[in-house]
Amino acid sequence: MKKILAALLATAMSLSLVACGGTPSTPSNPSSGSGSGSGSPDPAPSGDKIAINVIAAEYGKQTKDWWAGFQNDFNAANEGIDLKVEVVSWNDIYTVVNTRVSNNAAPDILNIDTFADYVGDDLLRPIKDFVSDETYAKFYPAFIEQSNIDGTIWAIPDLASARAMYYNKDILEAAGVDKVPTTWAELRAACEAIKAYDANIYPWGVDMTTDEGQACFAYYSWTNGGDFTDASGNWTLNSAENVEAVEYIVGLVKDGLTNSDPSTETRYNLQELFAAGKLAMMIGPNQISSYVASSENPISFGIASIPANEGKSTSSVGVMDRFMVFDNEDTDDKVEAIKTFFDFFYDDTRYSDWVIMEDFLPATSTGGKIMADANPDAASWIEIVGSAKFYPTAQAKWADVKQGVIDVEQQALLGGNVKELLDALQAKIAG
Amino acid sequence: MSTKTPAAPAGQQAQQSSPRLPNPGTRRFFRTVEPYIWIAPSIILMAVFIVTPIIKVFQLSMNKVTRAGKLKGFNNFENFTNVMKDPAFSLVLKNTILWTVAVVVISTLLGFILALLLNNQFKGRKVARAIVVFPWATTLVIQASAWKFIVNTDYGTLNTLLMELKVISAPINWTSSPTAWFAWEIACGIFVTIPFVCFCVLSGLQSIDNSYYEAATVDGAGYFQKLFKITLPLVKSSLTVSTVLNIIYVFNSFPIIWTMTKGDPANHTDTLVTYLYKLAFYNGKQGEASAVSVIGFLILLVCASVYMIYTLRKGDEDL
Repeated sequence: MKKILAALLATAMSLSLVACGGTPSTPSNPSSGSGSGSGSPDPAPSGDKIAINVIAAEYGKQTKDWWAGFQNDFNAANEGIDLKVEVVSWNDIYTVVNTRVSNNAAPDILNIDTFADYVGDDLLRPIKDFVSDETYAKFYPAFIEQSNIDGTIWAIPDLASARAMYYNKDILEAAGVDKVPTTWAELRAACEAIKAYDANIYPWGVDMTTDEGQACFAYYSWTNGGDFTDASGNWTLNSAENVEAVEYIVGLVKDGLTNSDPSTETRYNLQELFAAGKLAMMIGPNQISSYVASSENPISFGIASIPANEGKSTSSVGVMDRFMVFDNEDTDDKVEAIKTFFDFFYDDTRYSDWVIMEDFLPATSTGGKIMADANPDAASWIEIVGSAKFYPTAQAKWADVKQGVIDVEQQALLGGNVKELLDALQAKIAG
Repeated sequence: MSTKTPAAPAGQQAQQSSPRLPNPGTRRFFRTVEPYIWIAPSIILMAVFIVTPIIKVFQLSMNKVTRAGKLKGFNNFENFTNVMKDPAFSLVLKNTILWTVAVVVISTLLGFILALLLNNQFKGRKVARAIVVFPWATTLVIQASAWKFIVNTDYGTLNTLLMELKVISAPINWTSSPTAWFAWEIACGIFVTIPFVCFCVLSGLQSIDNSYYEAATVDGAGYFQKLFKITLPLVKSSLTVSTVLNIIYVFNSFPIIWTMTKGDPANHTDTLVTYLYKLAFYNGKQGEASAVSVIGFLILLVCASVYMIYTLRKGDEDL
């Protein structure tokens, strides 16, 4: 009897703790982390109105307020439509959307980064059906192409950001680096000069963490003529260019020319070091400019293209987020209402306001022009983002590749053979 | 003073209860169902908040789950075989065992010693006990962030302190390898677990009658004889509770490792819980993540069962 009692007790204890242990499947409250705070949009009265439900990602502190104002303006301007925008933090948004999908309560419009998984489950409708020709013509064609799967465009970009090299002018000058490095060889030489000048300053910032190690792979692969895929979309992870790229950056780390722990130091740690004058150079997004400018003792910094290998061209890494429309068997009226939503959102003035709000870059040429006219500093970034390369997010295996290349970088730091690691990853992904 | 209330005469009792339950059959029925009515709210709460998610985890672990969260049917335990085939899994399992054993054993030992110290009469004992509670009262994320800050090479307080004391002349990288990171994480785990053990043992120590020690002293017993022959046997039940709970808590602990390293580099500091989190939310493999969760559950179930059967049997023998 005691044994049975003991077994029951043990089961109950383990069960209760497993349940509390943060399993991924626990249904989460869709309203958690959503726009129910002070900045949440006021629910509009519904009657015979056409309801549009939007789930939007929370980019920063101002996102909720911006969407609240947008919802009120939209509902006031469109009496027949009842728009409801739910702003959800990035930590929760995937769980919230997946829970909604599995409960057959998908939103009408979703603002998020990835879309291929939803296409794979036949959950989306082609975006062209929901966007007026006038609005559709505003996007950079290269951006639209990033959401192309088998000839169908499934999403439209809502904003973008791009990466470039930041350097501390004072440190480079003091270390005797006259020319800002443009090639890998110049970069290594500059790093060695900085290390010789002051061993307490990290010459080059590297982030190979779980958060953004895939960006590190892209920085060096793309500036060495490599890529994640070939022109036909086949994975080329173990190409000679990619092997050389990873070996180059791991070599810099092992030679002590970078921050001490690239596996655990995120881009945010690096930008703190850069703003504090402890890191001489790093690759980062456009938001770093305002971050450094707002620090207590702003350093003197410059922005340049990401250095490329000899004879190879430089390339910026672009990141974009998107709007997509779920297949909720919409009536013609609903389709028109969603078109009205996108026309309203991409109105040039309102769209510029949206992009500037959290310091991002526009995905429309018209928005870019307005921003460039208003702020000459933004003009160079808008040019960079216009020619940036993007991750192959339209590929269904992108999530596996992303984590895979991060693992390769970290294994290489621990002494693994880059070629063997990339061969194994290629076999796993393509095989 | 007796705590019993005087019994009312039988006739009076019948008179008092008759207006409510006139029929003896109804009364019997009510008596039978009454306990179930009382425990019903707990059962319902457990069913909704504990059993349902667990059933869902088992269901997910045996199904093909798309990245968008759609179930596509039973997949012949493929989630389990995929997890087992991954070379990272054995590393993660080894880390989990090391993490659990190191944190539970060392914190139990240190917590026990601390409890012995705090059980002595000394000036400022209340303040000392309050200080011991602090780590317990702070959230784990804050604790882990503080530890990460302390050991940071560039602006960490450990390096600053040692440089101020002229022990070192230049900052030392305290986290130069995955092993070093894992050791710091274990240290943080021990630090936050000690108060729980300490207070469990302290409650046991305070219930020991002083006359046992006085008698032992009269018989000429030394400090260690008293410790092993009186103290340890009498606080064994408190230690059992704290150890079983600690095994489960530490095994499932997520915030310390996630805040300090996220399991990096290359799973070298991952435990099952951080690994399954990455599988679910970074790789979008909810089925495999649920399989890892089920494996963890089974391991805990075996550990807890063995431990509880053993201790209950020992309890019977002691009786």
